[in-house]
Amino acid sequence: MGLIFTHIRRFFTILRSEVIVLPGRLALVLFVIALLALPLFTQDLYFLRIVILTSIFAIFAGSWDLLSGFTGQMNFGHALFFGVAAYVTALLNIHLHFPPYLSIPLGAVGAVLAGLVVGIPCLRLKGSYLALTTLAFPIILTGIVFAIPGVTGGELGLSGLSRLSSSRLMDYYITAVCMLGLGLVMWLITDSKTGIILHAIREDEVAARAAGINTTRYKLLAFCMSGFFAGIAGGLYAHFMRLAGPSTLEVGLSFQVIIWSVFGGMVSIYGPMAGVFILNPLMEGLRVILGKYPALPEMRMLLFAALVLLTLRFMPEGFIPWVLDRLETECPRCKIRNVFFRHRCRICDAAMS
Amino acid sequence: MNTRRFIVCLAAGFLLFAGLCPSAWAADSIKIGILGPMSFTQGEGHWNGATMAAEEINAAGGVKVGDKMMQIELVKVDTNEFLSIPDATNAVEMAISRNKVDFLVGGFRTEAVMVMQDIAMDAKKIFIGCGAATVEICTRVTENYDRYKYWFRLTPINAGYLGKVDFTLLGTVGAIMKKTLGLETLKVAVVAEKAAWAEGIVAAAEKTLPEKMGMEIVGIWRPSPVAKDCSAELAAIQRAGAHIVFTTFSSSVGLTFAKQMGELKIPAAAVGINVEAQKSGFWEATNGAGDYVLTINTYAPVKITESTLPFYTKYQERFKEAPNYTAGTYDALQILKAAVEEAGTLDSDALVPFLEKTDLVGTAGREVFDAAHDITWGPGYVTGLGTQWQEGKIQCVWPYNWEGITYEGTVPYKLAPWVVEAWKKKD
Amino acid sequence: MFLDILIDGLIKGSVYALLAIGFSLVLGVARIINIAHTALYMTSAYLIYIGTKQLGLPATVSIGAAIILTILLGLLIYRYFIRPIQEHEAAMLIATIAVAMMLQEVFLMTFGGHYLGVSPLVEGYTTILGVRVTWQHILALGLALVVLVGVRLFLFHTRMGLAIRATAQDREVANLMGMDVTRVAMATMAVSVGLASVAGAIVAPLVTVEPTMWMHPLIMMLAIVVLGGLGSIEGSFVGAYILGFAESMVVFMVPMGSFLKDSVALSIMILVLLVRPEGLFGVFFEEER
Repeated sequence: MGLIFTHIRRFFTILRSEVIVLPGRLALVLFVIALLALPLFTQDLYFLRIVILTSIFAIFAGSWDLLSGFTGQMNFGHALFFGVAAYVTALLNIHLHFPPYLSIPLGAVGAVLAGLVVGIPCLRLKGSYLALTTLAFPIILTGIVFAIPGVTGGELGLSGLSRLSSSRLMDYYITAVCMLGLGLVMWLITDSKTGIILHAIREDEVAARAAGINTTRYKLLAFCMSGFFAGIAGGLYAHFMRLAGPSTLEVGLSFQVIIWSVFGGMVSIYGPMAGVFILNPLMEGLRVILGKYPALPEMRMLLFAALVLLTLRFMPEGFIPWVLDRLETECPRCKIRNVFFRHRCRICDAAMS
Repeated sequence: MNTRRFIVCLAAGFLLFAGLCPSAWAADSIKIGILGPMSFTQGEGHWNGATMAAEEINAAGGVKVGDKMMQIELVKVDTNEFLSIPDATNAVEMAISRNKVDFLVGGFRTEAVMVMQDIAMDAKKIFIGCGAATVEICTRVTENYDRYKYWFRLTPINAGYLGKVDFTLLGTVGAIMKKTLGLETLKVAVVAEKAAWAEGIVAAAEKTLPEKMGMEIVGIWRPSPVAKDCSAELAAIQRAGAHIVFTTFSSSVGLTFAKQMGELKIPAAAVGINVEAQKSGFWEATNGAGDYVLTINTYAPVKITESTLPFYTKYQERFKEAPNYTAGTYDALQILKAAVEEAGTLDSDALVPFLEKTDLVGTAGREVFDAAHDITWGPGYVTGLGTQWQEGKIQCVWPYNWEGITYEGTVPYKLAPWVVEAWKKKD
Repeated sequence: MFLDILIDGLIKGSVYALLAIGFSLVLGVARIINIAHTALYMTSAYLIYIGTKQLGLPATVSIGAAIILTILLGLLIYRYFIRPIQEHEAAMLIATIAVAMMLQEVFLMTFGGHYLGVSPLVEGYTTILGVRVTWQHILALGLALVVLVGVRLFLFHTRMGLAIRATAQDREVANLMGMDVTRVAMATMAVSVGLASVAGAIVAPLVTVEPTMWMHPLIMMLAIVVLGGLGSIEGSFVGAYILGFAESMVVFMVPMGSFLKDSVALSIMILVLLVRPEGLFGVFFEEER
């Protein structure tokens, strides 16, 4: 009994001294609570659908950041992983009747294999060469999809997948928990030894190699890990939409994920995910607002692009890092982050300038 | 400074919230969601056709539900389906759960329609499809009636029927060419976009042309539906000495192909399906190179039924273009009105039997649904048309004495002068 | 069949070459992956459409006006949205994507998704070795050569060209040598956008003018530039013809698979890169640190 009490007290101590003091962490905690508690306030199908899709795309954006942000392997064809997983998931579910909890991870394994197929030839390529080559893979695959309509359904795609779960509410919790869980895992990966190595490769591959790191192996690992997480997103998407079609491989989707990520702020995992959670609901909000003025021409995408352009013009590091920089300052002595209005550091009591 | 920014943020947040809040709706109207890619010709067709029908019905007092007269209120649902499938699903979900539409009408890109269909069926909303021709969308109704019974396809006739009309058109043109040019065996180049819906037509062509129609196939080309250049295909077709190019296009490749074919004056007659050639903008987009292209169509300035011509002229006057088949939303609204008035309710389950019994003489013909909730094709029902571009005008050239049918206003088929020139000399 | 492939590939290649050279220039010199390049090409096509079809101006006047306006637009975009964030490579990339999307949406709003047509400068066609080719295509072929030679002359025989090459090799040193790096970048951008709009004027009549017309050429251009080697004008030129011939061969040899021509062309690009990771004519830069 006393033990539990101690733990609860410790929890609150941590909450008070480590979470509440920093706006970024506080916002994250509030976001998680809000996300999990949202269905208590509304069970509107439309609302839940948007959050579900947003969660799925947040996983997708996070996986892009893992590869392109952290490891610096600029991927312009990230939709490949999404699409491959969606198709594999759909095939397993439709023909072999695998339930979603099996078909989605196996679809992700398919995406890992795709990651290897793309990763191996791309290992020798650098920078722009790599970026532009990866762009080609989903397009080539689209050609193959159209070539074997018997298997892939051609432009119809594969439809009739079983539902993710029995109700929209369950779908919501599955995707939300997946998003939070996988986001945490990705964040932990970047914080681990592997993550540091990946980061080192991004910063200076030659130096990393000189330090005895098999950079080839780690780059392939990055492709595979990223493929896996993107694949989970693709599989969830296929089961939620109950369709895996050629649109999952479109160039537009590859571009979209880069936009979300760079907008949110690369090299942080939470930045791209937050980017999706800002931009995607915003687009839907615009749909609702503009829907009230039918006389206006369709201008959602225009506003979206203008917003992205202006944001990057003034916050080239991305939106989230910009906001965090305003809200939090680093202690000049102990490098601990503090809320912006503190005059003295919360740890070492040094004067904040 | 910071305070001001804070206030701006607050105001923006409030606006967003106000926008997201459902507003009160007038209870005495029937809400119909019109689904389509509204920035594109197809979506405009959906919306325009529906607008005309709704205005006419409302002007005549509305729809009689039980003993109450209700007005039709259209909800424009921009699905943006060409560019984004999630967008399409979000838009439909919003129309259903937020705008509380009673019925859904429209849809175009098959991949999107299948997803939207699922959402509509989940919500048990009647969905009348006006755009996708794929057979599979309707086979879902027969496979799982209880779930998909709320789906009906009004236009176009399904890909299978399109194939039938296709071969009839090919036969008709073939006969004309044989007669006027004195050709013995006709050489046909089959060009079909690489899409699942076209597979059946290509397979049928491979069998039917040589075996039943006595034509020789000189080659089968399958360009991408969005190919931007068909010069290689055309060069090969010309080398092969084809008399007829049998086309199967629903996407932009149809325009590219027709344009380049006309510019190069390839001596062959283009016959078949070319959805781009159904649009009024086709002439301008090809700079007139699309002359003499023949395609299956739904509307033309001919008297298919009593209501065709009034609809066609009114539409053309008002929207400055000819209606294409997505404007069949006009008939969809009439069908809904008839069914609702007969059933006296807006309840989907109660309406399905009445919709199944639909037998309405609409603008495209006599509209009757079959067991798969698909529009029935055939003489005496919706037949489809063959229209040809003749000097910048869409002219109906088929049915011309087919099963005893010739719609008033139909004109004879014309061969392009360069086709005549190229093949006449060889005699 | 060989002749058919030769002529058709040549024609296809020329259209690609016209588009790729300008893009290659700005990528090689200013190190900007300008996704908006083909969107500017589209802008030029639309402006010509407005000039000839809506205002009824003569073709030459509208083409001239379109080229000037497009260059101005390109420079404005560069000055206000790209240069300020030059240090942030990813942000710059997204900025160009956003610009391309905005242009697409602006045209979608004004003209809808309708397919429009621009009249060719020269009507009609001719027959070369039994293959029919429109005069406009031949014009594209000729212009591709002119542009290639012109760009080479500009780069190797003018002071500005020298400055551009110097900046491309080492920005900082060029700056230290007293070159106005900003002005050089502006000039490069102007030339590149100018080439895009010239391509628009010549290629637009061959294709359909519509709001998403920038997507397909963009992908092919990216492939060509990588295939030829980043920053190599000759490389892009050769790359364009390789992809042109590849596409042509697919259609002639496998008519049933003509939809695969993009896939095959891109696969060829990847195969070449496997053998030569720096592209055909690319210089293998010592890894930048």
